[in-house]
Amino acid sequence: MSQSHADTIPVRVVAAEQVTPQIKHFTFAPIAGGELPAFSGGSHIIVVMRGAQRVYRNPYSLMSSPNELDNYQISVLRVDPSRGGSAFMHEQVRVGTELEIAHPVNLFALAKLARKHLLLAGGIGITPFIAQLHDLRLTDVPYELHYATRSPEHGAYCELIAQAEPQRARLYHDSARRFIDIEGLLSGQPLGTHVYVCGPAGMIARVLDTARALGWPESHVHYERFAAPPTGEAFDVYLQKSGIDLHVLPDQSLLEAIEAAGVDAPYLCRGGVCGFCRAEVVSVDGELVHNDHFLSNDEKASGKAIMPCVSRARCSKLILNL
Amino acid sequence: MLITGIRSKPVYAPLQPDLGGRYHVMVGYGVGAAPLSRLLGDFGQADPEALARTRVWYVADAASPQANADAFRAAGVAELRTFTAVDALLSDLTTDLDQALMGTRLYVAGPESFMGLVMRIAHGFNLAQDEVRAEQCGTLARRVHCIHCRETIENVRTNIVRCVCGRWLVVRDHYSRRLAAYMGVMVDAEVPGERPEIKEVFL
Repeated sequence: MSQSHADTIPVRVVAAEQVTPQIKHFTFAPIAGGELPAFSGGSHIIVVMRGAQRVYRNPYSLMSSPNELDNYQISVLRVDPSRGGSAFMHEQVRVGTELEIAHPVNLFALAKLARKHLLLAGGIGITPFIAQLHDLRLTDVPYELHYATRSPEHGAYCELIAQAEPQRARLYHDSARRFIDIEGLLSGQPLGTHVYVCGPAGMIARVLDTARALGWPESHVHYERFAAPPTGEAFDVYLQKSGIDLHVLPDQSLLEAIEAAGVDAPYLCRGGVCGFCRAEVVSVDGELVHNDHFLSNDEKASGKAIMPCVSRARCSKLILNL
Repeated sequence: MLITGIRSKPVYAPLQPDLGGRYHVMVGYGVGAAPLSRLLGDFGQADPEALARTRVWYVADAASPQANADAFRAAGVAELRTFTAVDALLSDLTTDLDQALMGTRLYVAGPESFMGLVMRIAHGFNLAQDEVRAEQCGTLARRVHCIHCRETIENVRTNIVRCVCGRWLVVRDHYSRRLAAYMGVMVDAEVPGERPEIKEVFL
């Protein structure tokens, strides 16, 4: 089943607000009017940005209420150095700008049968949880949110969270030397609890390692990474089925280069976790640089497959069965 | 044939230690003692310290001598509880899992109907496939749910069974985890009285 990416939704920016020095909050409304597609908390959309030189397609978590579909809201952290996407959103996009977005996809959904939800957010990783909190408030299932930021100034949504969830949320600031006690939290949760983590790579790794060490089964541990495709050296690619030659720039992802060549390649997460863009490697005269979290170590070592959304090659010619 | 090739039929496998678990709860009924003894032996080999975080709950039946309890005790588990009835074990299990922490693994061994009842409780606590291991041993006699009157019939050994509502039911492989029972569907609805031969199939 391949999702058609021609099927994007035209939206207009109806609000744009700088919430911290690095974070900008956007509200999109459908140009056609009416309602946007329904979604569940944890979903992301792909925002298509048509820059002067390149087209960027970046995933952003929806943070608005799943119960209000006349608009979608996202927050964009300005990454420094930016590959182009976050800088585009910060510099070029303002109220009135028209953009295209892809339909929401949820790769970070709440477990419906959980007895308790434990939400761990770091920095901009709070965004999917803001939407999930709307869903959680409608249930009887206990939940708690632990939200860590560098400092109160960098905590884009500290106030919002503190007001919305005075009982169930706890805030932490690195600047005050207050950190989430991951081991303490994970060692005392009732059976049937699900833990969700979204934040910096180091925080996600700590939660996953700690959970495993404390006997949490994988089925109860959920994470969402916000990782831009790593940059690297330029290389050439030949798409065998399409008969297309293309060149991948140092700060461009393989998937972006394939799309720029006019091939409608499949994708969902654009973050190396969902496995949807998996491509078969025919040959490579160098080495593959796997940056995904989907392929097993054996698959990576075999050199037969690659996830073009985040992975690349250190070679002069990569041939794909696309 | 109506009763085969259905994917909801539970699949069981020999019990093996899950060393990734932090606490271990083992429950068994009757002949389930043998797989539990073997499992305890495997734990003793692989990670003897885990036995101090292991509890064994066991229902003896006529076919299982008291000697089993002594074997469990000898393995050095943290707690051994023996019961004389399945219901008492299930009741304690419900109370106990309510207090249990993440990191707990559940191991079940016994006749299929017993495992269904334990698994139903486990699902109620949102235990997933990677937290529960089950090994079937002993009788395959089924709990059958009459889809017409919703009565549950215990210890069904035959392909066709008569429900208290008077209907003759064919016992399907279609299994409900929620009901911990196989579905029984009226066998002669089209032509009353026309029934296949009754055979003992769940031994």
